[in-house]
Amino acid sequence: MKAVVIGPGRIGCGFAGELLHSSGYDLTFVARKPEVVRHLNRVGRYRVKLTSTTEQREQVIGPVRALWTQDTSAVSGAIAEANVIATAVGPQNLALVAPILAAGLERRRSPANVLAFENLINAGSWLRRLVRNAVHGANMAEDHGFSGALVKRAVTQKRGSIASDEPLEFIGDTPSSFVVDATSLKKPFPKIKGMVTTKHFTAWALGKLYVFSAGHATAAYLGSLKGYHYIHSAVRDPEIRAAVLAAMREGQRGLEAKFGWETCNGDKELEEIMARFENALLSDPIQRVGRDPRRKLGPKERLVGAARLAERAGVVPESLVLATAAALCFCDPEDPSCTELNTLIRNSGAGAVLEKVCGLDQKSELASSVLKSWGQLAPGWQPGNQLVSLERRMWAWG
Amino acid sequence: MKIGMVMLRHPPTRKSPIMPEVVRLLVDWGVTVEVIYPEERVTDLANVKPEHDLYVLKSGSELALSLSAALHATGANILNPYPVAAALRDKVAATRILLAAGVPCPNTYVTSNPKLFATLLDAGPLVVKPYRGSQGRGVHVVWDADELDDITADCGPVFAQRYHKPEGVDRKIYCVGGQLFGVLRAWPAKTYAEKLGEPFTITPELKTVALRCGQALGIELYGLDVIISEGKPYVVDIASFPGFKGVPDAALRIADYIYAALQRVLEGHSAVLPMPKEVAA
Repeated sequence: MKAVVIGPGRIGCGFAGELLHSSGYDLTFVARKPEVVRHLNRVGRYRVKLTSTTEQREQVIGPVRALWTQDTSAVSGAIAEANVIATAVGPQNLALVAPILAAGLERRRSPANVLAFENLINAGSWLRRLVRNAVHGANMAEDHGFSGALVKRAVTQKRGSIASDEPLEFIGDTPSSFVVDATSLKKPFPKIKGMVTTKHFTAWALGKLYVFSAGHATAAYLGSLKGYHYIHSAVRDPEIRAAVLAAMREGQRGLEAKFGWETCNGDKELEEIMARFENALLSDPIQRVGRDPRRKLGPKERLVGAARLAERAGVVPESLVLATAAALCFCDPEDPSCTELNTLIRNSGAGAVLEKVCGLDQKSELASSVLKSWGQLAPGWQPGNQLVSLERRMWAWG
Repeated sequence: MKIGMVMLRHPPTRKSPIMPEVVRLLVDWGVTVEVIYPEERVTDLANVKPEHDLYVLKSGSELALSLSAALHATGANILNPYPVAAALRDKVAATRILLAAGVPCPNTYVTSNPKLFATLLDAGPLVVKPYRGSQGRGVHVVWDADELDDITADCGPVFAQRYHKPEGVDRKIYCVGGQLFGVLRAWPAKTYAEKLGEPFTITPELKTVALRCGQALGIELYGLDVIISEGKPYVVDIASFPGFKGVPDAALRIADYIYAALQRVLEGHSAVLPMPKEVAA
């Protein structure tokens, strides 16, 4: 069996590649950078180190080979022969890989399934549309299955150098399952360890986004305000821990009202998530989790989307509101999304950001709550400053 | 991931919960921490070599500093770096560095003969301190020349600063990884609650002063004593790795900083990040 993975990054190698290899697939990666291609072909393997608070395990993934995206003939040939195709390139790069995928799929004689390991709720349908556009609207895209793949694992680090002859090492936590949309894949479904199929993909996707991702984002944005470097430190802070748990509960209650039991596992789920956040062996930096705040503040995203759903269920999303206000303060000069957001706030005000970025009517109750919370934080917010007390909104200096 | 924590064991009666908590957190986070009490063992100097990825120099004892000097010479990564910790132990060296960086300090004098300070008393009282002292021990305010007779130079140079009458309680400013925390504290603090003091928001002027100290010395983990007199701030003391009493979540913040420094070292970088340029004098 053959698998093509487009994007040999943290999720591509540290999750999709690991599970496909464990399931008996021969792995071909497709990479944008020729030096990555050269490294993978020269070394022929990489390591995956999985860690939780109770166990650690390590696996060598290989042999693997790699192709350069510009080598279109070889890439489309590999896609044409693959039993399953995966992407893990980041939602913003899907448009770039669509023509590559389209060229390969056009050469196939049988339907293929494409699994998009992207942090995007509608990754499957979005990728299908991009592929359709790449072949100028031809129906070819309908002959194949496209599904998002909801990844349970966080792969936080890539260690090693592509200049070296030593294999790269990917470090993540232990969960090894992912959920795909049974309604948008073609039969027979690929056999991959850890793959769970569901007919209620949206509920699962929102379940991950509005609980795990909402909690992760809350920890990152409040952790940043209080000056911590790592998620595992931030969630040890009693004020942040309480807010993270409360934000995830608000997310759960909204989901429960909309979808019922399927997406919610109550406190047990929250305990498991908190244990993952506490796992210091992941060394998960606040800056990594908080990056791209503009996307993460989107109307259907982890904070605003979860808050809207909670509100609809009659829940006051106090902690999600606080996390949203904190996200408006997030500052990383090396993150273009962040600088763009900071500039928008400076030039147009937080209210305009809530309208343009979060899709909230400034007069809505939710927007008013976020603006009120922002108003309590903003007077002290300056890059490099940190909150001494979240409860008292007390800043270190100012 | 291995850290050697160079510490001084305090009597059990002393309440100092921060460092045990820092060690516990680092261990929880998968770091192997060896607590080293130099005073409680014999060190064979021929065998001194870096055995840990990072050393944390918490103790300011003479033996701890000497051992750190030996480790520094062998290329060990030390937090705070040995040369800075050594300079901060010597008030003469530390004050000169701060003055050169434009940090407001009281006029400062040093001699080996305390009686020579007599002429300075015409302009007002002096605060005389042991030049390697800490925690307020041996500090005297001298108003009259005859009080100088009680001061000996047996322990080395005598260090004196112009006395400025403080307005209100002392201000402690602590820095953890470039992040500042202000604590108001009565001096001398008699109870543990008084030692913890009360957090306060640092003014922009004090922020600049505090960050400038760290930049002048090249460290991120330190504490300042600041007095305000006639509306002006004066830095009257600076310490490498103080107790951080009164800083909210101090142990967690220090552990987070040490963990980040350890990651930098493991990636081949310096344990200490350069301070932002905005505070340059």
